[in-house]
Amino acid sequence: MASDLLSVSIDFETSHLYFPTLVHWILGILFAVILLTRVVPFMAAVRRGERTLPIIGESRDNKRFFGTFALIIAYFYLMDVVGNLFPYTGYGFLFVSMAFVLLMSLLYLHKWTRKTLVIVAVNAVVAPALVWFVLAKLFTITLP
Amino acid sequence: MMLPKKTLMSLSVAGVMAGLSLGSGYAMAQNAELRGNVRVVIGSTSTGGDTYQNASIVVDRLTEHLGVNMKVDAVGASSAFRTLDRDSRGNTLMIFHDQSYLGYLYGVQGYDDIFEKYTIGPTIAINPGNAYLVPMDSPYQTLDDIIEAAGNGETIRVSIQPGGVSEIGYSALKNAIAIEHPGQEENLVAINTGSQSDKNQQLFDGQADVINGSVQANEQYTRLPESDQKAMRFIWLTARQDTIEQAPEEGLGQTTREQLLEYVEPNVNVTMGGDESFTFDKEFFFLYNKDMDQGIVDQIDEALAEIYEEGEIQQAQLDAFFIPDFKPSAEASEYLQEKMSRYEEIITNIN
Amino acid sequence: MEFLSFLDLSFFLLVGFGTLVGIIFGAIPGMTATMAVAVCLPLTYALGLNHGLALLLGLYVGGISGGMVPAVLLNIPGTPSSITTTFDGYPMAQKGEGEKALRICVIASLVGGLVSAAVLFLFAPLLADFSIKFSYVEKFLIILLALSVIASLSNSMLIGIFSGVIGVWLSLIGDYSISDGGNGHTRLMFDFMEPYLFEGFSLLPVLIGIFGISTILLEAEKGVKRDVAGERVKIGKESAFSFSIFKGSFTNLTRSSFIGTFVGMLPGVGGSAASVLAYTQEKNLAKDSSQMGKGAPQGLISSESANNALTGGALIPLLSLGIPGDSTTAVLIGAFTLQGIQVGPLFIPENHDTWYVMMTALVLANFVMFVLMFFAIKHIAKVVMVPKHILYPLIVMMCVVGAYAINYGIMFDVWTLLIFGVLGYLIQKIGLEVAPLIIGFILGSQAEVYFVKSLESFGTYSIFFTKSPIALVLWALIAASVVFAIAMGFKSRARQKMELSQMHDPSHTASGKHHDSRND
Repeated sequence: MASDLLSVSIDFETSHLYFPTLVHWILGILFAVILLTRVVPFMAAVRRGERTLPIIGESRDNKRFFGTFALIIAYFYLMDVVGNLFPYTGYGFLFVSMAFVLLMSLLYLHKWTRKTLVIVAVNAVVAPALVWFVLAKLFTITLP
Repeated sequence: MMLPKKTLMSLSVAGVMAGLSLGSGYAMAQNAELRGNVRVVIGSTSTGGDTYQNASIVVDRLTEHLGVNMKVDAVGASSAFRTLDRDSRGNTLMIFHDQSYLGYLYGVQGYDDIFEKYTIGPTIAINPGNAYLVPMDSPYQTLDDIIEAAGNGETIRVSIQPGGVSEIGYSALKNAIAIEHPGQEENLVAINTGSQSDKNQQLFDGQADVINGSVQANEQYTRLPESDQKAMRFIWLTARQDTIEQAPEEGLGQTTREQLLEYVEPNVNVTMGGDESFTFDKEFFFLYNKDMDQGIVDQIDEALAEIYEEGEIQQAQLDAFFIPDFKPSAEASEYLQEKMSRYEEIITNIN
Repeated sequence: MEFLSFLDLSFFLLVGFGTLVGIIFGAIPGMTATMAVAVCLPLTYALGLNHGLALLLGLYVGGISGGMVPAVLLNIPGTPSSITTTFDGYPMAQKGEGEKALRICVIASLVGGLVSAAVLFLFAPLLADFSIKFSYVEKFLIILLALSVIASLSNSMLIGIFSGVIGVWLSLIGDYSISDGGNGHTRLMFDFMEPYLFEGFSLLPVLIGIFGISTILLEAEKGVKRDVAGERVKIGKESAFSFSIFKGSFTNLTRSSFIGTFVGMLPGVGGSAASVLAYTQEKNLAKDSSQMGKGAPQGLISSESANNALTGGALIPLLSLGIPGDSTTAVLIGAFTLQGIQVGPLFIPENHDTWYVMMTALVLANFVMFVLMFFAIKHIAKVVMVPKHILYPLIVMMCVVGAYAINYGIMFDVWTLLIFGVLGYLIQKIGLEVAPLIIGFILGSQAEVYFVKSLESFGTYSIFFTKSPIALVLWALIAASVVFAIAMGFKSRARQKMELSQMHDPSHTASGKHHDSRND
């Protein structure tokens, strides 16, 4: 009977795994198909030198790329640490954001002139302060 | 470059001194007082729900009374516990309700024994609205009918949210059936559902015979004409009789206190064995980090005692259909622990 | 008409103020309508019910509309429901048509908002009764229908679907939430992750991470060369906006507005499904939808009219069942309870004045939104003229604020930004597709709940076909959507083949064709 084939009973205790298992199967099948139809021909092309591997084989502005990474990680981490010294005042966000905005602007700035540096510095102080004042003070949103 | 030894010494001494004085200043400030900005996390993510409302009623008054900046953040149970774990300075407090230990009793992942892991703070209020409802045209007129029907082998499906406040009434009912009709309790079946809308939907779809709900959320449904597919009626309120008796006389919506009293004990009796009958009040209380200074615990206790003394907060709570219920932390802790052990018995009985 | 006495000057000012603040919240990447309403909720206690509602409804309409701004100009959806706006809006902005795109969005938003307000006013109780005909089964099929957009949205159907399923997988990380009726167990993670990932990744940080942070990483990789984000923005002349763009869009506008209203009305089907669904239907039903996803006004029209139509739609179950239709109306419930007013099936009959006040505020807020936005656009569109070295750090900062604040202060949500920023970067590098992945992520957890719950209640797969006539209609739509996507795929492949064979020696086309999706 078709109805027997289609009937299921889901045990509540393991029901959190039912759908993920289904998704795993679909993912696995799709991945196999992609592996065969896309990745294998692509790797062959790489070997023949017609194409390059993504990321590894590409040129990149290492200073700015990894600099961005490092800055963001430091930003997120220090915000929490500094914020912990002044619980729930938002100072962690305020001070660390100023430093972050300044450094990231300098990192991305190609030509350092007096004028651009002043703009960058003013922006780094004013923007976080404004955001902090409006959100943390006026709207009492919790900030790190 | 060499610095003279003397200078170095005096510098380091100065440094240590400064550190000491700063440290001791900090320690002194820590001693016994809330200071700076205080964040009250709650175990619910909703800012429209009863936990948020209760918390903000109390926190607003504490802010005023103590002159400290306090703010309620609806971060949800798991995050709230975690935030509380990390801060013993007293800048983080938590407000939650019976779910905090019921989750543990039901073995829900992420819940620990709150009495072991945290300090229990004062209770603040009760939400008396926890209710069970049936469709308007249900064959079951009273809860006794349901117990009887289950005893006679009829399957009765109850739509609940598993693992806590919504399930405890169901467990008690199952326990009562086990006592009155041993072996028949399997006829009471839980339909595990999520939000109130999902539970209502189960009733509309005929997928459930009884649902868990609340006076606040379902009162209007009980006043719909019987011809309306959405019409329901109350069959049981889990609150104690004297809890409902403290509610405003006009009740809620157009259902008076008098009418609500029909659905609580002793009119509705869910036995726990012997003479004891089951009741459940959803109570809101503070939870503190275990290592938080006792001074802060006392400070909040005292402040709340004074606030409740003034009498204004009670009116605010009653207006929002909450029953004022202040117990200082020591008393609250003992009381809640006793409450938990009663429910623990029920849950172990039916498993 | 007693309610007219409530409409004093301060009422109108509050609607205007609310809408303005809402637009600002919506326009800042990471800040949402929900947050705007939540933040201003305490104010309403002092204002009283009617004035409080004026403010909150303004915030709601403004917040939903404001989401279009960063979606079009920066490719970051300002609110989750403006995700589909990025598909066509950003390509237009890159072509220098940001201002035009925004004007189209504003008009579509106004129409969507007004249509849904009218539907709310005329049919609320009736529609509430219709909406309760949608049980788990039908809701699952609605989600499936919205998911089917993935097939037609992607450059390569295989890769697209694969990306979509990855999105679904990512959405399942965390607990099978008790509040959805699950058993509360976590899955798809290691034990040490539990403290952070218990509730899984939150939608908003994922969205702004995958769109915002990854864009910045991609730019940083290229050295942030061109210093102005949209230097080719032409203001005026060539790409001038004219109302004639809307010629022939009547069906699209109406259809999308009704879809938006309808999805908003279904409790438990998230708001972002509305614009996705409207977008799918336009893609499937329009005479020519080949340009959608590359900068077609019709995509903007369907997305924005649908997401603004959410507002009226989500108020339907709130006011006639007491059940919020989306996350913002869930907060709105707080405003009623604060004032001691119950919402439920008897709300409208018992609170006539409040009901009329709300309708007035809603309609008014839509017009205020239109006026504010339509004339401010010229200036707003200049955001892209800000040099990147100033703009990018500020975007990161605002994303942090939004991510941290969305769940009222959780640090892990900030780290989620970075995780998904990196993921978004990798995805684009290895040739997977972002849009399907994010749609999978948005809809995945709802799909799970409704799917598993359907099976739990009925115990058979056949229920998905036999539950109700509504289910059959939904299946027909799903089938049509898939068939259409396949046909489209063949057509475009044939066209590509022809173009390629005209340009190159035919022997090269076979190997080139496989990888065309990898390099864009």
